[in-house]
Amino acid sequence: MSTAGRRILDVGCGRGKYPGAIGIDRSRATQADVICDWALAYPFADSQFDEVRLIHVIEEVDDILATLAEVHRVARPGARVVIVTPHYTDHSSYCSPTHRWHLSSFSLWFFSDKPREYDYYAPAQFRERRVEVKLLRLWRWLGLEFLVNRFRWFRRFWEYYLCFVVRGKYITFELEVVK
Amino acid sequence: MARILDVGCGRNKYPGALGVDRNPATDADLLCDLSRAPYPFRDASFDEIRAVHVVEHVEDVIRFMEEMHRLLRPGGRLYLVTPHYTDAGSFRDPTHRWHLNSFSFYYFTQPREYGFYSPVRFREQRLRVRLLKLWRWLGLEWWVNHSRTFRKFWEHYLCFIIRGKEIHFWFEAVKGAA
Repeated sequence: MSTAGRRILDVGCGRGKYPGAIGIDRSRATQADVICDWALAYPFADSQFDEVRLIHVIEEVDDILATLAEVHRVARPGARVVIVTPHYTDHSSYCSPTHRWHLSSFSLWFFSDKPREYDYYAPAQFRERRVEVKLLRLWRWLGLEFLVNRFRWFRRFWEYYLCFVVRGKYITFELEVVK
Repeated sequence: MARILDVGCGRNKYPGALGVDRNPATDADLLCDLSRAPYPFRDASFDEIRAVHVVEHVEDVIRFMEEMHRLLRPGGRLYLVTPHYTDAGSFRDPTHRWHLNSFSFYYFTQPREYGFYSPVRFREQRLRVRLLKLWRWLGLEWWVNHSRTFRKFWEHYLCFIIRGKEIHFWFEAVKGAA
């Protein structure tokens, strides 16, 4: 996809900054353009970015609600937010002692604009565009990844009954900013 | 009349209870951050405290339980509900800090093993584990709740397959020289 003319923010960019993006990170040893704490306030004005990427970041922040509120602030209305995080059944969710949160493919549902049980919890700020789960190779070969991503009801069944055996790897959330 | 406190009451405050929550969009009578004890009540103010789906959100579970203990009269009852750590609901909420099991409150009820962590004591009066529908239908929930040995076996060997849902605890506050 062309990034020409689009302003992209890569939060917690590390050493694999997204091509064409402005990177922020905590450490100078990264490819960051701006050094700041990516869990707190970003040094940008409101509604600046067409896309914000948080790749393996939200599982480490102190407060996911506060971080997503900050992402919401710097993104323009309709901007795309891409979040990748380990599934709570993947070993990588427990490999890093800095992982505070263990999440599922429904963990960001709170922020979407669909009618929800807990809409008082987090006001609708994002529209959930796409959720994609990656499973371990064996299950991918057996076609289970296809089923999980093809049918929402099957994903639910997988989350409740199967996922400690048919274990997940990563979840990719694609959200649209609603302002 | 019993004095009941509903901690983290949300929008389903228990009838007749005083509700506290940190979110103004709830039925709370009083707003306060439940991770910041002490709450604005005197010692032994309540006969019963209900903490339904709250303890998994607070910053410090031990401090929270100590605060529950402080607010209860001697012999007062704490009803606590939290997801079992094998329930998908335990991971669905991005504000859940803790993933607990049916033995997680041994700190307060079995002082011999873990008593040095906290001075407060509760007596576990009753405990009920709920399992997913399929396992309930197959009678496994009954076994988990009617035999402590089976519950222990379930927690150690079975619960990643036969997954739990919620755990309901009824504790009695033990105070004084008892």
